[in-house]
Amino acid sequence: MKKEQTIYMVRLPLVILLFIALWLLPNITHAQTITVSVEIPDIKTSPYHKPYVAVWIETPKREGVHTLAFWRQQADWFKDLRQWWRKIGRNQSPDYQAVAGATRKPGVYSLQWDGKLTSGKMLPAGEYLLHVESVREQGSREYLQQAFTYPSDNKQVFTIEGKQEIGTVTLSIQP
Amino acid sequence: MPVNYQQWPRVILTAISMLMVSSATAHERYILPSHTLLSGDQPQTVTVNASISNAIFHPDQPLGDSGSGRDVGEFKEYFANLDYAVIKPDGQMTTDTQWTAFSRMSVADVTLTDPGTYRIGIVQPDIFMTTFINSDGQPERIWGPSPNIPDGAKNVVRRTTAARVETFVTLNNATQAALKPTGTGIEALSITHPNDLFANEPAQFMLYFNGKPLTENVDVKLIQAGTRHRNDREEKQLIVAKDGAVNFTPTQAGFYLLIAETHIDKPQQQDVDVKHYSLYLTLEVFPE
Repeated sequence: MKKEQTIYMVRLPLVILLFIALWLLPNITHAQTITVSVEIPDIKTSPYHKPYVAVWIETPKREGVHTLAFWRQQADWFKDLRQWWRKIGRNQSPDYQAVAGATRKPGVYSLQWDGKLTSGKMLPAGEYLLHVESVREQGSREYLQQAFTYPSDNKQVFTIEGKQEIGTVTLSIQP
Repeated sequence: MPVNYQQWPRVILTAISMLMVSSATAHERYILPSHTLLSGDQPQTVTVNASISNAIFHPDQPLGDSGSGRDVGEFKEYFANLDYAVIKPDGQMTTDTQWTAFSRMSVADVTLTDPGTYRIGIVQPDIFMTTFINSDGQPERIWGPSPNIPDGAKNVVRRTTAARVETFVTLNNATQAALKPTGTGIEALSITHPNDLFANEPAQFMLYFNGKPLTENVDVKLIQAGTRHRNDREEKQLIVAKDGAVNFTPTQAGFYLLIAETHIDKPQQQDVDVKHYSLYLTLEVFPE
């Protein structure tokens, strides 16, 4: 009698844990980390102004989903990030204040995103496009895109090369 | 940088950056004429607009005012010091062109009373500026001939900056008198006549500095209109030949801005370390 009771008491928490685990599993698999590395090329020119840069994710229907980086100085020139501005910037939707920062000097910058939207929800599974846009005062403008699937059973790694104002961009999604 | 006249500190900053000398922070400027080539038996008027703008030929800030335009705030003193010079086909210079400042550009009418080539310009004489690294390690600059340099400043450089912003227009026959060097600042004058430029035809200009051929220590670039509507700015560096000649063959019709810059590092003048000079010349190229 005493023995049976012990087994019963051990099994009950196990069953509860199993249910909790099954319920959590889809969310855990969705929480894949998206890592983007962006290179600002070293351009030898005078005058050189550090570029305004936006890195963001859209749906294939061109709905703004999330901004990963927005490096800027004066608000007067935000609109020169033309694609980002029309899809996210001017509506301030989704909100990007958390990733807004000063312009960066040439170099390679790594961005990580855990898939958590500013709404607090997780990024739904689906097809997406990473967008990278850079514009430099008295310089040129460049705009790159890369499609990806989220989440992924396998590790996805993409490398795209800019021609002028953006160097190498890598996108990796780790299951 | 655009000007918001409600934000006075910004305006001051803008006025400062506008006057900035060193190519490290200079903004482009231009004069854009309604016409460069005209014909007719009667005098004709061209309307010119001028602006300080990095988007070539898309205006951003006014450049020039003769007292009739809007309140330009901190720009007022600067505009009052500019020479609104027009050189007529007989070689005579007038300075009575009336410029009117608007929010984003300045505008003037220039009546061509005589046939021939006119040079329409805005000439900025030497303006004093001192640059230095402050005690926090940040670059700073102060305008005026007698700046109060704060304690702990390093790399103090006393500078002047001067500029010519100009273009050429011709009524009927193209003439040469307006193309002679004035002897002030940088000038790019024709071997090819500046109102006889066509796509895919070689163009050649001779650079002068204070009236003498400018052959070294000079940076020349050419930018075609429309930077706002293309991703690549397509700034072309031009090579200056040993005699001061600059050659290029425009492949497309349209307006172009030729920018030339030079500086004198140890001028005779006692109170200056570096003197900067620039030229912003607007050229129109017609299709073949």
